[in-house]
Amino acid sequence: MVDKKIIKNVTNIIEGLGQNDNPETISILEDVGTNSKIDAIREMTSRALVKKNMHDSLKVVITNKGKGINDMSTVVAMSTINELLSLDDKSEAMKILEDTVEQHSDEEVRDNARSVKALMALS
Amino acid sequence: MANLSIPSIRERLFNTSKHETSTQRNSNSTNPFAASSFKGNVLTADVFESSNKNDNNKINFTGKLKASALVGSISGIGEKFQNMINSVVAFGNRIKDNVVNGWNKLNNIEISFTPAKDKAVSIYNSIKDTLGTSVTDLVSSGVSVKSVAKMEDMTAARQLMSDSVAAWEAAA
Repeated sequence: MVDKKIIKNVTNIIEGLGQNDNPETISILEDVGTNSKIDAIREMTSRALVKKNMHDSLKVVITNKGKGINDMSTVVAMSTINELLSLDDKSEAMKILEDTVEQHSDEEVRDNARSVKALMALS
Repeated sequence: MANLSIPSIRERLFNTSKHETSTQRNSNSTNPFAASSFKGNVLTADVFESSNKNDNNKINFTGKLKASALVGSISGIGEKFQNMINSVVAFGNRIKDNVVNGWNKLNNIEISFTPAKDKAVSIYNSIKDTLGTSVTDLVSSGVSVKSVAKMEDMTAARQLMSDSVAAWEAAA
């Protein structure tokens, strides 16, 4: 059983990094958060990256196999998609999704991007 | 000015021979109130008080009415007085509670109060302990969203994130 204090700290750090304007926070979240073996940490990190709504942060959760919308865990993938759908300004996310559908080498990533793009177009 | 006593009004209304004169009504009259008027009799005396009288605007209490109003006001005063007493009692109780709480607080302060020298030593020790702890130990004492959001040292931020994630993964 994980101590509640540890969970609280990780949650606060990820949220804080999500709010921090420094571009380097994206690489911290990508390196440490999205590569964690804990689903909850990957989920929180993906959502924080989407909330940043910056080109580099959105690219991490859209174009990388095993991260964000392409995560092995359905909960993480769905949570990321939900956060993308909740964005007020979806223009940057749509642009990255279009590029991914057209140019990405992995078929699975292309398919996922196509599905999410269709969902975002409907929302 | 007409005499307004009840016997005089009654006498004028029903004793037509003295105060009223008969008038001949035309059966072809178009007056719609002819049938319901005073059966052809015309009142000669002014038995009704004028509605324009200024006295109508003044409220006069007489006899039982005045007594009733007075009794009502007295009972109202009693109720208000009761409320006042209740509020005074409540106020007194509140003051008493505050005094008791204040006394307890004073007692607690006196018990927990340590001489300034001891206090200064304990503050110094706590600062020394805090400075001597590792990042992980600091993490366990609690990190706020605000402090991380304003963090400028990205190396420290990375370390903080790595340590806390590692702590979670180790505990899982």
